[in-house]
Amino acid sequence: MIWKTAWKNVWRNRVRSLVIIASVTIGIFAGVFSIAFMNGMIAQRIDAAINEEISHIQITGKEYSLNNDPGIIITHHDSVISGIPKLPGIAGTVERTIISGMAGTATKNAGVQIIGINPEMEKNIFTLDKTIMAGTGDYFEKESKFDLALIGQDLAKELNIIRYTIDSTVLENLKIKKIPVNTLEKLNPIAGIRFTNEKKFKKSINSLLSKQESKKYGYQIKNVAWSFREGSKMTLTFLDKDNNQVGVVFRLAGIYDIKNTIYEQSMVFVKDTDLKRLTGMDKDSFHQMIVRINDINQTEEITKALKDKLPEYEIVSWKELQPDLAMMTDYVHQMYAFFMAIILAALAFGIINTMLMVVLERTKELGMLTAIGMNKKKVFSMIMLESVFLSVTGGVTGMIVGWLTVLLTARNGINFAQYAEGMEAFGYSAHVFPEISASFFIMITLMIILTGVVSSIYPAIKALKLDPAEAIRTD
Amino acid sequence: MKVLELKEVNKIYDGSEVHVHAVSDVTLDFHEAEFAAIVGPSGSGKTTLLNLIGGLDMPTSGEIIIDGTNLSKLKSSQLIDFRMRNIGFVFQAYNLIPVLTAKENVEFIMSLQKWSRKERDERTFELLKAVGLFERMNSRPSKMSGGQQQRVAVARALASRPKFVLADEPTANLDSKSATTLLEIMEKLNHEEKITFIFSTHDARVVKMAHRVITLEDGKVVSDDKRE
Ligand SMILES: Nc1ncnc2c1ncn2[C@@H]1O[C@H](COP(=O)(O)OP(=O)(O)O)[C@@H](O)[C@H]1O
Ligand SMILES: [Mg+2]
Repeated sequence: MIWKTAWKNVWRNRVRSLVIIASVTIGIFAGVFSIAFMNGMIAQRIDAAINEEISHIQITGKEYSLNNDPGIIITHHDSVISGIPKLPGIAGTVERTIISGMAGTATKNAGVQIIGINPEMEKNIFTLDKTIMAGTGDYFEKESKFDLALIGQDLAKELNIIRYTIDSTVLENLKIKKIPVNTLEKLNPIAGIRFTNEKKFKKSINSLLSKQESKKYGYQIKNVAWSFREGSKMTLTFLDKDNNQVGVVFRLAGIYDIKNTIYEQSMVFVKDTDLKRLTGMDKDSFHQMIVRINDINQTEEITKALKDKLPEYEIVSWKELQPDLAMMTDYVHQMYAFFMAIILAALAFGIINTMLMVVLERTKELGMLTAIGMNKKKVFSMIMLESVFLSVTGGVTGMIVGWLTVLLTARNGINFAQYAEGMEAFGYSAHVFPEISASFFIMITLMIILTGVVSSIYPAIKALKLDPAEAIRTD
Repeated sequence: MKVLELKEVNKIYDGSEVHVHAVSDVTLDFHEAEFAAIVGPSGSGKTTLLNLIGGLDMPTSGEIIIDGTNLSKLKSSQLIDFRMRNIGFVFQAYNLIPVLTAKENVEFIMSLQKWSRKERDERTFELLKAVGLFERMNSRPSKMSGGQQQRVAVARALASRPKFVLADEPTANLDSKSATTLLEIMEKLNHEEKITFIFSTHDARVVKMAHRVITLEDGKVVSDDKRE
């Protein structure tokens, strides 16, 4: 009866209750959606870091990380090393040879890390082979009489390997992408011109289009207008094992495109066999073993187990390599709870205010109820329930709307193409797929109920202080 | 059988500005199935006296004993519970919970007392029939006339079979026809249920229907007149 009465009381002042419920709905919706957005962004970043960049655990020789000394090697002659793939919880391993060097074309030079890999084995650990830009290569698939190298998109831009042209095919493709014809017409003055420099290309587009247009379409135009010359070459320069400088011409095996500018600019992949031949390194030795594990939640345990087993080596987990991401995964729930708590605290003031008005308006009724024998506990519960109903009705609506929005936007993601450069500089994709877990909804449901309860305390205490004889007096 | 006993009850309102002797040396007994009116001019202390009897207010001195229990010996939480189990109330106004139907209002105390649904329904239907509102049981108070609302309040007051029912000017807001109807219903229930009614009024026609008339003047009982 008290539940029923409290629920019906909510609808006594329909407009006022709806206003407060609507504000809770909006607050919770905003909270749910922004958290889903952040969550998706973080999850994608971690996913990318693990699957494309660093995997779970890296093993190198002692002190290798201090100055990347190529003399500090690991070999298969160590039976513990060769036994790692069979340890429990480990999904697979790959070995890499790493040499610092320079990548250069006729016009440009850049410092890079040259990574010798076994392309087939790498596919078991990384998904880099799936990020090759269309038409740029086949990830070492085809046999070639040349030495092959895989480079990142940003390095390709830096070395002027990617160039930009507005021609009829490009314009056609841009039309398909629903860019207005009169915007495209403005590009006529640069039609046919080949830009080897991304910045210059961007500049001329910006000068031809209005600010708004270039903000809205600039990224898309750039994405369509780029081209790549088949059989592009570059020179990799590095030191061999006797410290002699070697410069070798490589053909491109492809350009990979991930969402991390720094990685793209600095990591060049070549076949391990080629690199060993060119540097004269022993074929049984390498610099780094990368370990992928089955369950990311076991990172710490497995890292520790490996450290115990291999005291002579340096073992770091992705959490140590990317402390920012590690912190996010470890504290993400506290972060979200804190964020929701701030929203709910703001909403609580609205609920408190409403409930105070309720108590004030119903002085006589509450007095009557105490007089006829409704005890303090029940009066308190009735007011608390009314307050909880306000918060929960708004909260549940907000969660449903938020959840539906997440479902809807998660299908195709939300693409902030115009901010892609900024976000990729930090390793974040600008195409975000919001994502949220059921446990999060349980957490906010509890927080919403708690908000209702807490907001009712002060008004309920006021109600309990009423003197029934005073309250019902009709003078 | 004695259901209620007042011994030398005094109530003095002693504020910084006021000093009112609202109830003065009142000693009274009420028995089972009495139908008593408390009359007197405005300000004579009727409401104060009923509030004291109902445990809504505490006497400055004297004792109020209900069925062997001295009210001043009860802690405030016990007192609320005691009221729920032993006393029915009908006020001049604001008797009903506006969001509940007539039936739900009558049931309210029974549900606080955790009666079973079946017991509750039986008693509610019986009382709504007795006050002539069985057909209106699903109406909300706002859809009923003042007289009908007071009849629901009477049914509510009797619901959990209290020792007695206190009604402070139950007819004050009613036209004379509704007032008479209400009194007739109260009298009938008093007779059928053997429950004592104590009500205050300054309406002469209502006074006429009482079996006992206690007259107050300046907080003092000036006459106690038993008829029949
Ligand atoms: N809470 C109070 N504080 C001070 N004086 C009061 C209070 N309640 C009632 N009185 C005074 O007590 C006297 C009796 O009042 P009341 O019991 O309401 O009389 P009645 O119900 O017969 O009109 C009046 O003089 C009234 O002003
Ligand atoms: Mg009065």
